[in-house]
Amino acid sequence: MIQTIAFYLFAVLVIASAVMVIMARNPVHSVLWLILAFFNAAGLMVLVGAEFIAMLLVVVYVGAVAVLFLFVVMMLDIDFAELRAGFVRNFPLGIAIALVLLAELVLGIGAYQAGNLDLGTPAGDAAPMLGESNIENLGALLYGKYLFLFETAGIILLVAMVGAIVLTHRPPKTQRGHQHIGKQNARRPEDATVMKQPEVGKGVEL
Amino acid sequence: MDYLAQYLPILIFLFIAAGLSAAFVFLPMGVSRLTGAHNPDTEKLSEYECGFPAFEEPRSQFDVRFYLVAILFIIFDLEAAFLFPWAVSLDLTGWPGWITMMIFLGELIVGFAYAWKVGALEWE
Repeated sequence: MIQTIAFYLFAVLVIASAVMVIMARNPVHSVLWLILAFFNAAGLMVLVGAEFIAMLLVVVYVGAVAVLFLFVVMMLDIDFAELRAGFVRNFPLGIAIALVLLAELVLGIGAYQAGNLDLGTPAGDAAPMLGESNIENLGALLYGKYLFLFETAGIILLVAMVGAIVLTHRPPKTQRGHQHIGKQNARRPEDATVMKQPEVGKGVEL
Repeated sequence: MDYLAQYLPILIFLFIAAGLSAAFVFLPMGVSRLTGAHNPDTEKLSEYECGFPAFEEPRSQFDVRFYLVAILFIIFDLEAAFLFPWAVSLDLTGWPGWITMMIFLGELIVGFAYAWKVGALEWE
């Protein structure tokens, strides 16, 4: 009962905030609506039983991706009055996209009316659940059976990091002086100073 | 669905928070609408005499280096997210799981060393 109520609450909020993402005039507002949609999707994931995915949605999507979207929105210098002024010019493109979406709708309804997918029945010989909780099962699979895919994910993250640095890093224009601690420590007093004992009244020869 | 019972307090908290925030927003609006005189005109709704309409959008462009910092944050955030199921299921995966994670961390340490060497972490 409570689950059903919670499901409909989260689902309605997801759809409503997704609509608001599109409808909001201000792009910053649409990013904030997107964050709300992520939170509600996390609630749906909890209801399904995928706890870890729910937490990932909150941690990664809400925390990081939404921040990134905000950055993009802030960095793009978009004049929205000018964007709306291009309505006539972009009209053919809009019609084309609308046609593509219409074709997808037709295909989707056709597929729906073609009947159910034959998913088969579970034979009961699948691997038993290894751990007790969702996250434990997931870890056992990810670090046991799918080792190679996991390492590939690491490589992809590495490529993403290097790519982001290559694309956006600009070397500093003014070179600041840097401290070389090893050089400082290697310098001895006898290299730097000379003891002189000049005679009285003659001055120092350098 | 036994484990969903653990989330019941959060749901209750959500309802209480939504109710309280709705009350804080709509109660003063309703009270002021019912008790105060409400007859606005164009002069009242316009800017105050010492204020003026904004000349331009208050948004300004950020430096692109913020973007680099955010991307690096996301990558290390994902890396940390991978650590949680690994730590929980270590008794199931054993040494192979441990070695896998060490290789994964090594890959990201390579990236970290690269970022450090190139100077992507420095601001100036």
